[in-house]
Formats: sequence, structure tokens, C-alpha cells
Amino acid sequence: MAAVESPVTAPAPGWGRRLPADERIFMWLVLASVVVMSAFTVGWLFLGRQNVPASFERTTPAAWGAKVSAFAAKYQRADGRVHVPPGKEAYMMALRYAFYPTLVLEAGHSYRLWISSEDVLHGFSVVGGGQNINLEVSPNHAYGATFTPAKPGRYLIVCNELCGLQHERMQGFIYVER
Amino acid sequence: MAYAQPAPVLARIGEERSRVCSVTGLRVYAGPQALTLANAVAAVLALAAGGVFGIAMALTRAPSLELLGSKAYYAALTGHGVAALVLWPVFFEVAAMVFTSTVLLNVRAWSLKVGWASFALMVAGAGLLLGIVVAGHASVGFTAYPPLVAHQLFYLGYLVFAVGVLLAIVNFALTLVKARLEGAYAGTLPLLTYGVAVAAILALLAIVSGLVALVPAWLYSLGWIGSVEPIVYRGWFWGLGHTLQYVNVVAMVVAWYGIAALTLKAGPVNQKFTRFAFVLYVLLTVPVLGHHFLVDPGLSTDVKVVGGTLFGFGLGVPSLMHGLAVIGGSEARLRERGATGLFGWLRRVDYGNASIGALVCSLLLFAIGGWSGTVETTVQLNMLTHNTMWVPAHVHAIVVGGTTLAFMGFAYLLVPLLVRRQLWMPKLATAQAYLYGLGLLALVATQTWAGMLGIPRRVSRVDVGADPHSWRLPMDLMGAAASLAGLAGALFVVIMVMTLLRGKRTEDASLLAPSAERA
Repeated sequence: MAAVESPVTAPAPGWGRRLPADERIFMWLVLASVVVMSAFTVGWLFLGRQNVPASFERTTPAAWGAKVSAFAAKYQRADGRVHVPPGKEAYMMALRYAFYPTLVLEAGHSYRLWISSEDVLHGFSVVGGGQNINLEVSPNHAYGATFTPAKPGRYLIVCNELCGLQHERMQGFIYVER
Repeated sequence: MAYAQPAPVLARIGEERSRVCSVTGLRVYAGPQALTLANAVAAVLALAAGGVFGIAMALTRAPSLELLGSKAYYAALTGHGVAALVLWPVFFEVAAMVFTSTVLLNVRAWSLKVGWASFALMVAGAGLLLGIVVAGHASVGFTAYPPLVAHQLFYLGYLVFAVGVLLAIVNFALTLVKARLEGAYAGTLPLLTYGVAVAAILALLAIVSGLVALVPAWLYSLGWIGSVEPIVYRGWFWGLGHTLQYVNVVAMVVAWYGIAALTLKAGPVNQKFTRFAFVLYVLLTVPVLGHHFLVDPGLSTDVKVVGGTLFGFGLGVPSLMHGLAVIGGSEARLRERGATGLFGWLRRVDYGNASIGALVCSLLLFAIGGWSGTVETTVQLNMLTHNTMWVPAHVHAIVVGGTTLAFMGFAYLLVPLLVRRQLWMPKLATAQAYLYGLGLLALVATQTWAGMLGIPRRVSRVDVGADPHSWRLPMDLMGAAASLAGLAGALFVVIMVMTLLRGKRTEDASLLAPSAERA
């Protein structure tokens, strides 16, 4: 290795010469790891099952509110919950401080869940249950994600974007029945 | 030996009071010295404020304590972000700008008046920000995503602070030009000044993006415009927030080199390698702001993967290079001094030196944070970590473990050198560095655990989960870890204040900047 130079004085002339072998080998190793990680990430988009099949479209709070209300009225039962038939799309609204409506799904079926926000930015995070849905919900955008609950039970959804002074109360459940 | 004293360039310099440093042999002018010190003191006070907010938050989130009510919690959350993530590092970086452009180049500042004006604006902005947060009128998080709206003085505080930083950058740049014209340096800059110049370029980009985000948000808070599109705001805000974090990373690397230089007389093994790594930060930082939007609507998957993930992997490269150069430079220096064997040089380092303790902990924690950041910048894994406790785990490893600890270690050298007083209770300072590192390691571990359970960040209560019982333990332990780190942080503030007031006056180089080389 070359003599150590002070970082507080200007370098000696000739500092721009070709890097010594140890630095060059290190650079190649680092570069190779970046290439490998990049290949895995991009490859996984096509080969893996961990991608969230989410898509979005533009909307407005008023238009989305009307859509969610119509959907809820159609499938709401006496228990106040909205029972979504398998294969149907479900529409939800995030608003301070709740998720509306409360959905009931059937285990083993895939659903397309659409959600937008009525007021501010919210989070839509399904906690546990082997799910990986965790989205930033914004007014003027509707987010759609495919949700396939394998087991019956109660799936916790929490808002994880600071949305106001009672943010910690914003949570809900998706009920999954057999 | 390349560690020569720089050639004096005093001929064309005026009458301002100055002295020659007994440790470095550099000429130090009274004006830049006072300005550096003022910024460093403001930084330490901001860190103290950020620490108080942070501990209050952590003890609120510990389910067994729940110290604050929700309203006070969200105020503390905002104050913690503002003070610890913005004010503390930026004040310290401005101190570094003044120091590296004047003292290291043996020149006076381009304009002391502009320097003090910049300081006054930054203090005024900081006062506005913290005042309105404590008053409870800005509990929107330091990110302040619209349509959430804070009191207009909050945005004004950000803008006034930003203008102050802008003036500091202008003063820094013109001081470099002046030094060049006076012949203080030819060719390239000394490495530390070069690194700070890279940080200043990134800070300039951050401020421009911040103005585009915050001016409309300010007008919105005044009711002058009807709405701000939240997704667009997030884009410009993270142009500020993300880039600013890389200002912190670059300044941290400069502090690493500074500590190694002053304690071990070590420098980079190769100047070209190191400078290339600094340039990579400038080239790669900005696109990586995309990793904040991996689960946002509004951007296509292609943009997210390329900008957020792939550039994000690339941005790890310069940090790895600096990690090699700092450690390798220290090894090379100690081998020059006679260390033998594969690891003999490691035994030649005095780990009882406070700045070395801070450097070691900073390197380790930054490596952990770099790993967790790489995990969450991956488009598939971000879906699991986004806005969970994983994020504060990453941020605390990088910004507190990495940057803050490195700044602390550098401050243990810089402040005694500036005020010509020995560090107050150096053994306590050593204990402080390791205790802070340990507390942060525990904090990061518990926060990562909480993140893997899906516990959201930024909520005042966690007793709401589907299985609340499993959420209690990591969050209680997180509170304990934060208390330990907070105690060590308070020790740092005490040591700094006592050094300023009570440190033993001396010109003895072995007391002002004790060597960390063991025979």
C-alpha cells in the first residue's frame, strides 16, 4: 500500500493515477453484488409470488364515495357488514379515523380490494395472516390489490400513515369465513 | 512522510486576529472560529431538544408506561423529527462548512457578515419551528403531508431556516473561490473540504426541492391556495428529506476521516478512490428518493424499481468504498508505524479514546442501517416494511448510530481544539460513546423486531393489535433501549457544555487531541 496521505492537506501530485489492485478488486466485488441483487429483484418481479398485484387509477373523493356507498348498500346484511360474493370487486374508503365498510370474505377465494381516501393520506396495512398488503392511500387515487385470505378468521387492518390527532385509533378488521 | 504541515499563505491576508493551532499547525482566524463554535453549540442544543422529544415518544409507545396523551405525543413526534433529523445535523454541517473552508485552507471567510446572517436566520427558523410545535399547533409530523395542515409559522420556520442554510452554502462556495484566488490551494481541495463541498452540493439540491414542496404548503396553510396534491407534495418533500439524509451521510463520512486523521494521523489509502466515492453520492442520490414511493399510487412499477430499488443498491457502493478507505487507511497508517501480522494493527488502536469509540460504534451501526435500508428499498420487501417500525429502526441506525455518533466523536476533538480547553472528563466521554452505541443497538434491534410484527410507526398507542399481547414486549423493550440511549445522549450534552465552561485551558497537543495509537 502507498503511504498514507493526510485528509486535511491537498493530495500529492499524481493522485489521479490508476487505482491499485486491492481497490480495483474491491470495486469489482461490490459491483458484482449490486448486479446480483438487481437481477434477483427484477427477476422476482416475473418469477416470484411476493409481488403485490396492485394497480391504481385516478378518482375524486366525491366519485369514490358514491361508488363505495352503492357497493355497501348492495351487499350489506343485517349484521351491518358487507358480505362480498367470491369473484366480486370490493370498494373501500379510508377516512379519519376508520375504514368503511367492514368486509366479510370467503376463505380461499381471491378478491380485488379497491381503496381510496376521503380526506388525507392514510395507510392500508393488513397485519399478519401471511399477507403483504401495505399501501399508501391518497385522496384522488384509488388503489386496487388482490387479497387472497387462505384461512378463516379476523384480519387486522391498520392505518400506518400519520393522519391526525386520533391516528392510533384508525384500525379495522376484514372478516374471513369459510 | 506525506503528513507535512501545509505551506503558510499569510502574505495577502489582512489584520484579523488569528493563532496557529498547536495540534494541526493550521492558522485559525477568530471570526470563523467563533462562527464554527456558534453553529456547533446550536447543534448540540438542537440535539438535546430532539433527545427530550425522542425519549418522551419512546416512553409513550412503551405500553407499560404510556407517558403522554395522544395529542402531546404527536407534538413530540413532530418536534423529534424537526430537532433531531433536521436542526441538529444541519447546524453541525454548517459548522463543518465554515471550518473546512477557512481553517483547513488557511484563509478567512469570504464574508463573516453573511456567515452571521445565515446563523441568525437558522436560529430564527429553528425557534419558529420548535415554538409552534411545543405550542401544539403543528402536530403533523416533520413531513407535514397535506391536506394535513399546521400553523403557518411552522412552514415559515422551515423556509427561514432554509434561507439561512442557503446563505451558509453561498458563503462556503465563495470562500473556496477566494481561497483559490489567494493561492491557498491549487489543483484539488484537501479531502475533508472536498467531502463537505459534496455535502453542500447535495444540500443545495435538497433546499431547491424543499422550497417547491413547502412554499405551496405554506400558501395552503394561509388559505391562499385551495389544495395541494398530496402525492406531488410527497415527491418534492422527499427531494428535500431524502437528499438531506445524504448530506448527513456525506458529512458523517467526513467526520470519520476527521476522527481517523486527528487520533491516528490516518488518511485515505487512495485519494482517487475516495474522491470517486464522494462523486458517486452526487450522481446517485437524487433518483433514490423513489424508494419513498414504492407503495404510493401515481408512479409506474418500472419507475419505482429503477429509481427506488436499483439506484438504491447502487447508492450503497460509495458507502462501502468509504468504509474500506477509512478502516484501510487506519490500517495502512498503523502498519507504517510498525504494526505486523494480519490483525496486529487492530491491537495498536486505543479503544479507550472517546472519538475512536464513537468511530467504531458509528461504523458498525451504519453498516446495520445500510443493510436494513437495502432490504426495505427492495420493491418486494418494501411492501412488508413500509411505515412499520422497520423504518425508524433503519433511520435510527443510519442517522443516530451513523451520523450522530460520528458527529459526537468529531465534536470531542473539534470543540476542545476550537476553545483550547481539554475535553471535560475524557473517560466519561469514552463511556458515553460506547453506552450510546449500545443503547442504539438495542433500540434498532427492538424496533426491527416490532417492524417484523407489522407494528406501525408514528402511532401513540400499540395496544390495538389483533394479538396485542405480542406487541407489548418489543415496544416495552424499545422504551428501555431508548432510555439508555437517551441517558448517553444527555451525557454528551453535559460533557460538551462542561468542556466549554470548565475544560482545563491548555495548548498541549497531547491533551487537546490525544493520540489513539498504542505502542
